[in-house]
Amino acid sequence: MSIKFLEPADFSEAITLLSEHADDAKIIAGGTSLVLMLQQKLIAPGVLISLGHVPGYDFIRRDADGLHIGALTKVRDIEHSEIVQNYSPALAYAFRVVGNVRVRNQATIGGNLSTADYAADPPAMLTALDARVQVHGPEKKREIPLSEFFLGFYTTALEPNEILAEIIIPALPASARAAYHKYTSISAEGRPCVAVGAVADFDVDGKCQDLRVAVGAAVETPRRVNSAEALADGHTLTDELVAAIAEEYSRRLEPLSDVRGSAWYRREMIRVFVKRALEEVRDGDR
Amino acid sequence: MNLNVNGKRYEVQAGTRTLLEVLREDLGFVGSKEGCGVGMCGACTVLVDGKPISGCLMLAEQAANRKILTIEGLATNGQLHPVQQTFIDEGAFQCAYCTPGFILSTVALLKENADPSEEEIREYLSGNLCRCGSYRNIVKAVIASSKRG
Amino acid sequence: MAIGESIPMLDSVARVTGAVDYMVNLRLPNMLFGKIVRSQSPHAELLKVDATNALHVPGVVAILTGEDLGANAFYGAAIKDQGVVAVDRVRYVGEPIAAIAAESSEAAEQAALLIDIEYEELPSVFEAKEAIQPGAPALHMKFQNNIFKHAKLRHGDMEAAFAEADEIFEDTFTSPVAQQASLEPHVAAAQWDGTRFTIWTAAQAPFTVRKALSEVFDIPPEAIRVIVPPVGGAYGGKGHIRIEPLVAAMARKTNGRPVKFVLSRAEEFVTVTKHAASITLKTGVKRDGTFTARQVTIYWNGGAYADVSPMLVPAGMVRSVGPYRIPAVHVDSYGVYTNLPPAGAYRGAMSSQTTWAYESQMDIIARRMGWDPLEFRMKNLLVSGEHFATGEELQDVHFMECLEAAAKGLDLPRPPLRAERSTRVIEAGRGPKSKRGRGYGVMMKSTLATSKSQARLKLEEDGTVTLYTSTVEMGQGGHTTMAQITSETLGIPLSAIKIIGPDTALTPFDSTTSASRSTSSMGNAVIAACVIMKKRLFDLSAPLLETPINELQTENGFVVANEVSISFADVLRRNDLQTLEESGEYSTSLGIDPETGQGVATPHWHQGAGAAEVEVDTETGRITILRYAAASFAGRVVNPRLAQLQNDGNVIFGLGPALMEEIVYDGGQATNPNLADYAIPSIRDLPEELTSVCIESEKGEMHGIGEMTLPPVAPAIANAIEAAVGVRIKDLPITAEKILRALRERSEQ
Repeated sequence: MSIKFLEPADFSEAITLLSEHADDAKIIAGGTSLVLMLQQKLIAPGVLISLGHVPGYDFIRRDADGLHIGALTKVRDIEHSEIVQNYSPALAYAFRVVGNVRVRNQATIGGNLSTADYAADPPAMLTALDARVQVHGPEKKREIPLSEFFLGFYTTALEPNEILAEIIIPALPASARAAYHKYTSISAEGRPCVAVGAVADFDVDGKCQDLRVAVGAAVETPRRVNSAEALADGHTLTDELVAAIAEEYSRRLEPLSDVRGSAWYRREMIRVFVKRALEEVRDGDR
Repeated sequence: MNLNVNGKRYEVQAGTRTLLEVLREDLGFVGSKEGCGVGMCGACTVLVDGKPISGCLMLAEQAANRKILTIEGLATNGQLHPVQQTFIDEGAFQCAYCTPGFILSTVALLKENADPSEEEIREYLSGNLCRCGSYRNIVKAVIASSKRG
Repeated sequence: MAIGESIPMLDSVARVTGAVDYMVNLRLPNMLFGKIVRSQSPHAELLKVDATNALHVPGVVAILTGEDLGANAFYGAAIKDQGVVAVDRVRYVGEPIAAIAAESSEAAEQAALLIDIEYEELPSVFEAKEAIQPGAPALHMKFQNNIFKHAKLRHGDMEAAFAEADEIFEDTFTSPVAQQASLEPHVAAAQWDGTRFTIWTAAQAPFTVRKALSEVFDIPPEAIRVIVPPVGGAYGGKGHIRIEPLVAAMARKTNGRPVKFVLSRAEEFVTVTKHAASITLKTGVKRDGTFTARQVTIYWNGGAYADVSPMLVPAGMVRSVGPYRIPAVHVDSYGVYTNLPPAGAYRGAMSSQTTWAYESQMDIIARRMGWDPLEFRMKNLLVSGEHFATGEELQDVHFMECLEAAAKGLDLPRPPLRAERSTRVIEAGRGPKSKRGRGYGVMMKSTLATSKSQARLKLEEDGTVTLYTSTVEMGQGGHTTMAQITSETLGIPLSAIKIIGPDTALTPFDSTTSASRSTSSMGNAVIAACVIMKKRLFDLSAPLLETPINELQTENGFVVANEVSISFADVLRRNDLQTLEESGEYSTSLGIDPETGQGVATPHWHQGAGAAEVEVDTETGRITILRYAAASFAGRVVNPRLAQLQNDGNVIFGLGPALMEEIVYDGGQATNPNLADYAIPSIRDLPEELTSVCIESEKGEMHGIGEMTLPPVAPAIANAIEAAVGVRIKDLPITAEKILRALRERSEQ
């Protein structure tokens, strides 16, 4: 019954172990999701492969092509990072509202994304920012856009022997602005009923270019609606246009039902919070 | 494996038990409690390298050779920590099942932010639940602790 | 003058150092781990419960199943319908079928998976109103319509009274199943010694536990010792008797080794719940704003076993009328079996549901008839000397003062609220289209009509005093309160008082620590013991001080005459006594007629009020409680800080059932039995500004205030919402989704 706890010294050793133990192994980074699943007996692995002693993946770096965050970076370090704050306050905010302080001290960004919990915060914001992940496998490294990474409830495009290593968030033009809205419907303390990440760039006349809005928590995986985003192209974000885009999101997405809200309510909230997020990117400082 | 708790090293056979289980069952640090088992209530809060974490969501192995502080290690030489004293002075507890968690969270908060606003206090402590509803006095106690320095 | 002082709780240092000896910490030599195997079916015949394979698991010491039980192995406060473990039939998901005692929790868990259980499913029913319909599956042979209790109140001529009304209002209000969710779970350990045993348990009523166990095991109560360490929150959920029969029955099979059971959070949700209720109020009102009649019909969802409901259903009946002048009142209060876990008391027991109904309807009536809701209440609130629907004359009545104090609390001078300063909508939780409103609620709650408290004082050789009391310390500060009462009444410093109990082998009888009764009931027993002790001390010291008894006083541990004094210790020594023991008792023996509900329902009516100012985001339905002010009637406050904690705690606890708490079931299986999906109020759910006061009276009787400010919370908020945006929510909890739906429905009309 006892589970083996293995502590590889680097990523390649971790991947080798993962390949060796195949379906019997689970990766543990911060542990907040994994230990929970163990305690609730939702999983029963024979082997835990801890990334706790793997060096080199706890970093936040800004390069010319954008922001690079190591998969083992703690949520709380991202929340507090000046680099992230300078890149986009909305991104830092999306990490600040994850769970509670204890969870943020323990959980890593890689773990957060790999778990693919639909009611999580960062995925919607990162999807709107066109982030991609670099994953390491036994033979090769590859990059997957987040929009193709989340496949369904607790399901990702990671192969069984792959590990998420890095998150790359493309550079934002100085003229771009972003917003993140988390809506909790029951207690103030809790997981989102609806999460909306929005990013927009504006030309000198204030006309919108390249609008990206991702809705999470109300749907299985973070979703963008291209037909809605396209409405903004080359236009000023008037109240009418904002309402039309919000309406399009509300109509196009198929929300789920859970204790935080019915599908009907979530459809309504998608409209409200897409609208509020758009108003914030339109009116905000950055 | 070794656990460093309240400045002392302990040799333990942790297996894949949680830090909370090992602290309570093997080492007798019973001030931390399991309340919800899912990281929501904070009754199991302990500080690892000075940062609050949920003892129920961390495996003991993950805490090996890191500095663990439990409520039992807060008072020194029989002298209550100032945060403990202000919790008494402000009457910031009732059944007190949650209290060690609140106190350790407060100690960590004040280390990060010596003069937090009421909003910052509420945000930081929002992951600690008190079913008796002592929150108003808890906020007062945190403010009083920050004033004492 | 210890009464009236904000003394910190006696064991404060232990409380901030993690050193309180809760039950979860208890370790006994050779202790075994207990594990319960529970039903996965909401209603089924048990065709097979086979523990053969489980018994072979290394480390398993014994397994308890229905086969072990004798004919007496059923319990219940009034109806003995619940098996120690299920026998032949299960009636809810989570019902214990077997228990395991093992050397380790791992062994117990492994064995649990190997117990072979076969079910034959039966039809099930989960809603009280469906369970009483013809053709609904009957849970128990003796109650074919599933109604196990029907409490009646008949006061006045209803037909004539309704005929006098200018308007008649009929509304139904509902509350869902909820859970007490004390952070400490139910936990107990038992150890047998021949035909006797000791049980350690986190329970509110040690003597109720003892009596029930003596019946289950057919041994004298004195053969059972019940010890209750400090409890980590109870809120009614640890009242009556819960896991103790199972724990003791398991321990009987382990050859004298102790067995301890600690329930998981998920198990808590199937161990006891708050009654779901559907309450219909039909109320006749005259144009001048006075009432003519009220008819109340309540269906309480008792779950699969009657548990303590046969007592709570009549209590809920008298608590459903409201603190108003209503000449004719009829109430029918039904306790109904369903295939859900048994329900019990939940802080503000039954009043939480009934106040939701009558205080919501007060605003419906006031608005429709053009009255200001506050004025309408003031006009109709009962005052001292008037009669209640039970026919009893009311004494020491302060509803108006409570309501006035709460209402005034909304207008205290103060800095601007965060919501008024913040522009960042997402953080303030408010949208651009937010509206504000204020609402009020008043409550009236009975305590136990018949109950008894005893206290024993022992003056020790060194002049210190030990108080033996069975009042449970569960965070309310009950022991501190009793020490303050002892200190003041006996004239001895607090530091010289030690408290022991509850331990049925050492401490005298007390009915229960619940219904906010201890301050009054145990308080009066302590006073009685102190008075006798003082008289003894005077008798013993008068000759020594050469002073007549009527000129003696006690002060600070001394008997004091005009010029001379003698310490309590010296009184003993000079009289050649080692110790001195005296007991005191306080009891009430009241009640109402079971057919008419007429009589005296309670020795004291608990009184409280609340006022809320809320902001409703009309785009989301989400509300922010800007301000909440609460007031309770205390008579005389023993400890202002502990009283404030009770008042505050009630409001905060009350936000749970008001706004978020509901166990959601799917086929009798809870879908959210964890604190991530079953939300309880966090520090961020607090009103931005919370104030509370205790009202004292000239009469100066000490009353408990453990619940008074809770029941008004939900209706005060619902009333404030209607004042803000004109929609009426009648079903708890008041979620953002319900408000938005109501706003949409209204705008479509």
